[in-house]
Amino acid sequence: MSELAALERRGFRMGVAWALALGCGAAAAALAGFAYRELPRPHPLEELSYYPSGRHLEPATLGHAETAADLAWLRAVQYYGEHRQTDNRFSRMYHVFDILTTLSPGFVPAYVFGAFALAQEGSDFPRAEQLMLKGLEANPNSGRLAFELGFLYYVRPGGRDLRHAAQCFAQAARKADGPPASARFAAFARQHSGDLRVAYEMWSQVRERSKNRLLREMAEREMRKIRDALGTGRAELAVKRLTTPRVLVTRDP
Amino acid sequence: MKALLIAHNTFREATRDRVLLGVVVAGLVMLGLTQILTPLALGEGPRLTVDLGLSGISMLGLLVVVMVGTSLVGKEIERRTIYNLLSRPIARPVYLIGKWIGLSGALWVMVGTLTVALWLLLCGSGLAPYGPAVLEAAFLAGLELTVVTAVAVLFSALSTPVLSALYTLGLYCAGQWSYDLRGFAHQFPAGLGTTIGVVANLVPNLPLFNVRSLAAACQLAPPAQLGLATLYAALYCACVLSLAAAAFESRDFK
Amino acid sequence: MQISIGLHHQRRFSGRPSAEGSPDPGLAVRTQGLTKSYRSPWTGRVQRGVEDLDLEVRRGEIMGYLGPNGAGKTTTLKVLTGLHRASRGRAWILGEPVEKSSSRRRLGFLPEQPYFYDHLNGVEYLELAGRLSELSAEDAHQRARHWLGRVGLGDRPLLGLRKYSKGMLQRLGLAAALLHEPELLILDEPMSGLDPFGRRDVRELILEQRQRGATVLFSSHILPDVEMLCDRVAIVLEGRLNRVATVGELVEGSGQTIEIRCSGKPALEIPEKLRATLESRQHPHETVFTLNHEPRLPDVLQWLLEAGVNVRAVTPQRATLEELFLAAAEGGNEPGQDRRKVA
Repeated sequence: MSELAALERRGFRMGVAWALALGCGAAAAALAGFAYRELPRPHPLEELSYYPSGRHLEPATLGHAETAADLAWLRAVQYYGEHRQTDNRFSRMYHVFDILTTLSPGFVPAYVFGAFALAQEGSDFPRAEQLMLKGLEANPNSGRLAFELGFLYYVRPGGRDLRHAAQCFAQAARKADGPPASARFAAFARQHSGDLRVAYEMWSQVRERSKNRLLREMAEREMRKIRDALGTGRAELAVKRLTTPRVLVTRDP
Repeated sequence: MKALLIAHNTFREATRDRVLLGVVVAGLVMLGLTQILTPLALGEGPRLTVDLGLSGISMLGLLVVVMVGTSLVGKEIERRTIYNLLSRPIARPVYLIGKWIGLSGALWVMVGTLTVALWLLLCGSGLAPYGPAVLEAAFLAGLELTVVTAVAVLFSALSTPVLSALYTLGLYCAGQWSYDLRGFAHQFPAGLGTTIGVVANLVPNLPLFNVRSLAAACQLAPPAQLGLATLYAALYCACVLSLAAAAFESRDFK
Repeated sequence: MQISIGLHHQRRFSGRPSAEGSPDPGLAVRTQGLTKSYRSPWTGRVQRGVEDLDLEVRRGEIMGYLGPNGAGKTTTLKVLTGLHRASRGRAWILGEPVEKSSSRRRLGFLPEQPYFYDHLNGVEYLELAGRLSELSAEDAHQRARHWLGRVGLGDRPLLGLRKYSKGMLQRLGLAAALLHEPELLILDEPMSGLDPFGRRDVRELILEQRQRGATVLFSSHILPDVEMLCDRVAIVLEGRLNRVATVGELVEGSGQTIEIRCSGKPALEIPEKLRATLESRQHPHETVFTLNHEPRLPDVLQWLLEAGVNVRAVTPQRATLEELFLAAAEGGNEPGQDRRKVA
């Protein structure tokens, strides 16, 4: 009986320890599940699968993807500089920035720099556009990215894409961090893409919202041009034939 | 009270062992190195400083846990210094808790020192607004290390220092992948998916403590995350230490 | 500096047995059917360390716990001090079951070849030991200083333990065991690593503890020390208790011989009536006769004196504890055979 009491005492202590472990463990698991569902978390897996190389790299960083992205950024800047000063060949540019932005989806300057480098020096507008669209998907509330994409469309080598530029500028104007010029850029792009009626509305909003007298006067001027164009049926009064952007850098044959 | 005595002795051992001092010095050197790299970052210097600083704090803390924490109990058993403690009126769980508190305390001192250094660096570079976000990220990094220390104490009580280091590192890696595991659990068929889901709940949910990306963007985490992370850390540590106590209860010391 | 020497943890044992059947209040240590088994994780075989041990140590006595290497001495002591969990049976120290951590409140333990924290110095370690034994901070500090000096380490109190010699570590361990004036001392090889002066000091300390009213249970291979100190001796062989008796009972029961030393080399032939009980040995300058039957001594002396032999000394020879112990350890077994059960 006395030996049983000793075993029971030890068993009781172990039982208490196990019960505490199970109870706290269950509560911790429930809390973790709640946090996983409710709190913002990194890029979903199913979207990452679109970018295999970055996706495979991220788990290896053991939670330090941001630092790895910074190191990749340093490398990307060096890569750009090296090739900009030598052969102007940027065959791995997209790959480098793709990995970088997969590791750090919120790294907005990486999208911007990478896209413009791809479009201008790399002569690869489709990849540039792809990179910026990836950035917007990961950062849907980024006014800056929308603005930069709009600008990318505006300076597209071989032909400005004013319609898409206008859409992007208008999106940027609706975001908290969109540059103040977004609204008038949107109006401008709309106007010169030939969509005068929409452009008129956009200029009207610029005039109403702008606190700057000169900007209001500019908006009023453009609205007058559009009224004249619509009234006379002469679009050329309001729509300029803008110059065609070209590739800035000539590569060695 | 006795747990605090054990904790004080453990803290004293960790600080006198010079491992901690070496790690702090390495951390300060690393922070200095970030200033050499920032001119190469094309204007992203603040981000680089914050990222490398916070990652360094976290990785150096992990190094201390692996080097010191995983042999916390095992070394005492091997060297038989544990005889002098457990032959006194101390319950075995109290001993384990004291060990955990002691090493966690040393780690918090390390995290605090390097965080202050990082904050001073940022202030000196005119980046004081990053302060609150950096402090928040460092606090969560300290919580993460506290959780990993509890895991190290568990394995140290069960196994040799080398094996417990491997187990602790393994669980740390698995913990970093816990969100991926939860994602996988939904993609696999019922049986395998459930198993993966269980594993995802067993490993420590370490992404919960990771707000380094927000800190690098000078943003604060949602207030709910701080509270959730603290509560989760308390519950997980209680769970792991209870398991350690249960396993330690019937152990014989040769 | 006055340090009070006395049993400050004195507790009156109520004398009534507890519901668990705790022992006689006059006992400091009691084991009942104590068994400790070890199972190999690879083969699953079970080897017993101690088996069905029933041991009683009375309060206030000094008991020696003897046995050859691997007999189960350290296993027993570790079960009593909470370092091992018994597989079967019960054990109590000072009336409390050993499973309870509170049973060690009035216990002082010195392990065999003690190790300590390298990062501490002597004073710090003793203060830690004292605090863990529930002394106040101030008391622990005072007693640490006192005991460090008492064991001969007081001249360098701040010396790091990593620089201590083996003998110094042994002394420090003893100080840590005595610091809080325990009622029960369990010492595993307390003389280990000490020179003769050190051993003398330890013997004095142990005797002091008995004067104070404490109980001492110690294991040792140095049998002359056991003979000098112990009231009783328990001999454990192959995990089982072989015998418990006073030293006197052990050696008296062994019978005794008488040695008669004579100068020179007398050319004598032992008379036939004495040949069964008398042997002689020739040495360079003397002859030694050994008589193994005391009642025949007058006859032997008369024979020698009548033969004109110069008898220099007549000395009774008792078997030493060491001889008895070795005889008991080897008795009935083939050398090296261990009869503990292997399941």
